[in-house]
Amino acid sequence: MWSGEWVFNFDQWVNKRLPKAAEVTLTQRKIFILPSRVSLALIVMIILLFLLGINFQNSLVYVVCFWLIGLLVINIFYCYRNLAGLTVKAVAAEPCFAGEKMVLELEVSRPLKQRKSAIFFGWRNEDLVEVNLLDQQSTRIKLSHSTKERGRFSPPRIDVFTRYPTGLATAWSYITMDVEGIVYPEPIEQTNQADNRNVEDEAENGVEILNGSNDFAGVREYQAGDSPKHIHWGQYAKTGDLYTKSFVDYEGQELWLDWDSLNINGVELRLSHLSSMVLSFHEQQRQFGLRIPGAVLQPGSGETHKVLCLTALALYGLPSQEVSND
Amino acid sequence: MIDKHYKISQQITYRGMIWLLAAQLVVMLPFAFFLPIWLIPVMLVATYWRIRVIKGNAAQPKLLLNLFILALGVAGIWVSGMRLLSLDAMVSLLLLGFAFKSLEVIRQRDALVVVFIGYFLVAVGFLFSQSILAGAYGVVALIILTAALIANQQSSAQQLSQNATRSNLGLSTMMLFQCLPLMILVFVFMPRFSPLWVIPSFESQAKTGVTDTITPGDIANLAKSDELAFRVSFKGQRPAQHELYWRGLVLNNFDGKSWQQLDNAYDSFELGMYYDQHMPWSETNITQQGEPLEYDVIYEKTGQPWLFTLTPSLTLDKQVKQLGDYRIMAKNDVVTPFLLNAKTYPNAKRDLNLGEQTRRLALALPSRGDNKTREAAKQWRAESASDEDYVNKVMTRFTEKEYYYTLKPPLLGNSNTIDKFLFESQRGFCVHYAGSFVYLMRAAGIPARMVVGYLGGEWNEAGQYLAVRQYDAHAWAEVWIKGQGWKRYDPTGMVSPSRVESGLEEALSHEGSFLEGQFFSAQKFEWLDGIRKKMDSIQYGWRRWVLGYDSESQANLLQTILNKMSSIPLAALVGALFIGIFLFWFVMLGLLKRQRYESYEHQLYRKFCKRLAKHGIIREQQQTPSEFAVIASSQWPEKSDTIRSFSLIYQQICYVDNADQAHDQSFKKMRQLLSELR
Repeated sequence: MWSGEWVFNFDQWVNKRLPKAAEVTLTQRKIFILPSRVSLALIVMIILLFLLGINFQNSLVYVVCFWLIGLLVINIFYCYRNLAGLTVKAVAAEPCFAGEKMVLELEVSRPLKQRKSAIFFGWRNEDLVEVNLLDQQSTRIKLSHSTKERGRFSPPRIDVFTRYPTGLATAWSYITMDVEGIVYPEPIEQTNQADNRNVEDEAENGVEILNGSNDFAGVREYQAGDSPKHIHWGQYAKTGDLYTKSFVDYEGQELWLDWDSLNINGVELRLSHLSSMVLSFHEQQRQFGLRIPGAVLQPGSGETHKVLCLTALALYGLPSQEVSND
Repeated sequence: MIDKHYKISQQITYRGMIWLLAAQLVVMLPFAFFLPIWLIPVMLVATYWRIRVIKGNAAQPKLLLNLFILALGVAGIWVSGMRLLSLDAMVSLLLLGFAFKSLEVIRQRDALVVVFIGYFLVAVGFLFSQSILAGAYGVVALIILTAALIANQQSSAQQLSQNATRSNLGLSTMMLFQCLPLMILVFVFMPRFSPLWVIPSFESQAKTGVTDTITPGDIANLAKSDELAFRVSFKGQRPAQHELYWRGLVLNNFDGKSWQQLDNAYDSFELGMYYDQHMPWSETNITQQGEPLEYDVIYEKTGQPWLFTLTPSLTLDKQVKQLGDYRIMAKNDVVTPFLLNAKTYPNAKRDLNLGEQTRRLALALPSRGDNKTREAAKQWRAESASDEDYVNKVMTRFTEKEYYYTLKPPLLGNSNTIDKFLFESQRGFCVHYAGSFVYLMRAAGIPARMVVGYLGGEWNEAGQYLAVRQYDAHAWAEVWIKGQGWKRYDPTGMVSPSRVESGLEEALSHEGSFLEGQFFSAQKFEWLDGIRKKMDSIQYGWRRWVLGYDSESQANLLQTILNKMSSIPLAALVGALFIGIFLFWFVMLGLLKRQRYESYEHQLYRKFCKRLAKHGIIREQQQTPSEFAVIASSQWPEKSDTIRSFSLIYQQICYVDNADQAHDQSFKKMRQLLSELR
């Protein structure tokens, strides 16, 4: 019980001392340093050496013993210097689906005249990345963190630590990046909805939408991201170039993903289903719109449209950004 | 905090392993001088095996195999004839374990442990040798071990970068030398304790120097060695050369051929017990007279407990034991250089009342043999008025008759050696003269004994100390005379006065047997002698201030410091020194400096803009460098070329994406162009 309480206090204290920021330079106030666990073995050995020196009255054994003490102490300074002055900037938190890993991209740079070696960035039990800044001034790293729920994801406190140069001490700091990533609802298609959809298609807005509404319109050059289903393999066999069969949805044959028309219990399940539908429509290059409480996205297609839809799904029912910032 | 969550459990890198193996070899090599030579191939095999494992050519040995190898090693140590509880055996075992540990090193943490054991072994090596050379080698080993430690923290990418080896060594050297002041500070001020328990002894330490049984040939052998026995520095006036009788052992028992301490061969501990029981040491036996002499002696290791001082000595350390015959011995065998502070009253009288046991020992003669000598002694004593008269008569006889001082006397056989020497060969060196002299005294009923030690020594002016070497070994006699106690007589001095006044080299100049067999001895060459003396005085400093720095020296130093700065408490002084060292580190590591983050090309460009602004050409915020270059060169046409090329280089550095490339050449050009814009 007591320790739990203490950890809580410690977290609070750290958060106060090392507040969230988009860019952090590790200064003396922000760096903690302690002898590492392995150095305990060396300390035991130093004590043994001291006893050896006493019993054999051997000055040179004393010299080695005291020199190692010196090394232990000066190493703390070196270890501190290796971390000090490091600047960390959040570049982006890439969106992902719930249950996947959110990737946080960071830019790490060093002061001009100090090389940095073997600095680790990590989330406990999640990810660990080593950074070396020797010849280059700065570098970008990607850290991933697992996500559970859709919505806005603030990457938790990052542990930054180094044991360089000797491993006898650990210098560390905590960085909380002021950055948010969007976690889309996990795409789970509800099978019983498949039939349902066909039925609703007819009823919805009185517009006839056939299963084959994506009529073949022609062939265009392959672009990255095109679904392999639509690749014109015959053309490929003839020319050796990749072509994609493109489909056109005709005016008025708009497809709507409508919250209200879903026959699913549970908000999250609905969102998951919609998420999976957005993905599959996008894959089929269909024009579709999204209508959920609090957000209506007019029919469209393409990557941006998909992102907008998924974001809307992710943020469903969550307070808006402005509110959360205040 | 962090350590708990991110354990050092990564696999060791290839480079890290190579570093570790190199460091291991460096640590293990010097032990080849002291321990069984077969340890070296064993270590090499272990190293070779490990390299094969890293390269994937061999498998990691299984636990069972490891145990088997270890058992073989232990058996090897046992077969080598080492006692299993001796220090040699323990160190050999440690070395074996160290060599084979590398076979199972796979994780970073293991690597650290190997390096730690390496540090320990470097220190253990100093139990075997403490020469300057060994010290220097130890420093090198520490540097390489630390570099191995660093290499094992690096990523493989960093290790592969150019001159990674040099930079690792550089960093470790830098770190070790920066903590040198701290080490010295702790070394000087850390309190020293006396040994906590009895330590196992070395077997490999050969006994050197004067031993407790003397046959004439022994001293002659010592005369062939120029090895150092001990060094002395005097606190006041240095006594005359012929006064420097460094008294070591007292030999009472003569068996017709050789001299021993007592009729039984006691070890040094039993000897101490015997003396305490039968002839206990007591200060009251000394009648103090005259001024004392104070001096420090640093003994080289001998593997024996005997210490050599002027006599009689009164004030001594607690580290030593004094025996009833005024001799001094260390409590343990001298296996590391040993420092003794002594105070001697050369004019004091010893044993005005002779103890019963002492008298008995000092009169004992073999039951048979040397009849001619016994006869002569009786006759001469009868002709003399007193004991003292008789002593002088015997002494002068050595000058009057034709006796020669030589290191190559004829052999005297096993019986009647005194007869043969005194009346037939008449050639010999100190042991012959002292031995026959003592025999003559005892045969006449006068208590006398043989004393062995060293005579004289070589004064080193630069180092202000006296170096006493093995060839200074000497034997003389002490005779007990009523009302005067024990008096020193040196019959050798009657035969060869130069031995006493100038030393062995002078005394043997006629026969050239000085340091015979040592063809290359610096002493024989004058030009080398200067270098030798200089080296010797460095060695002395090493012995005196590094190896011999003990609680006594510490107390003296602190006394001196406290006397000089009586107003400052010692704690404050030490504290200030610590703070000074930390400040020194802050400065050395650049931790006090403000760090700049802007890269050099931007700095130069900012300078460039400043220069142009001075000429009224001001860059607007939104202008790109190329736009600005066009505008600037139109405003300052004479410098248009300079402006354009500067701007071009700057843009190349900024926008051409090869981050790893060094821009030294470009920077140079930029600085040059900048200087044109005055």
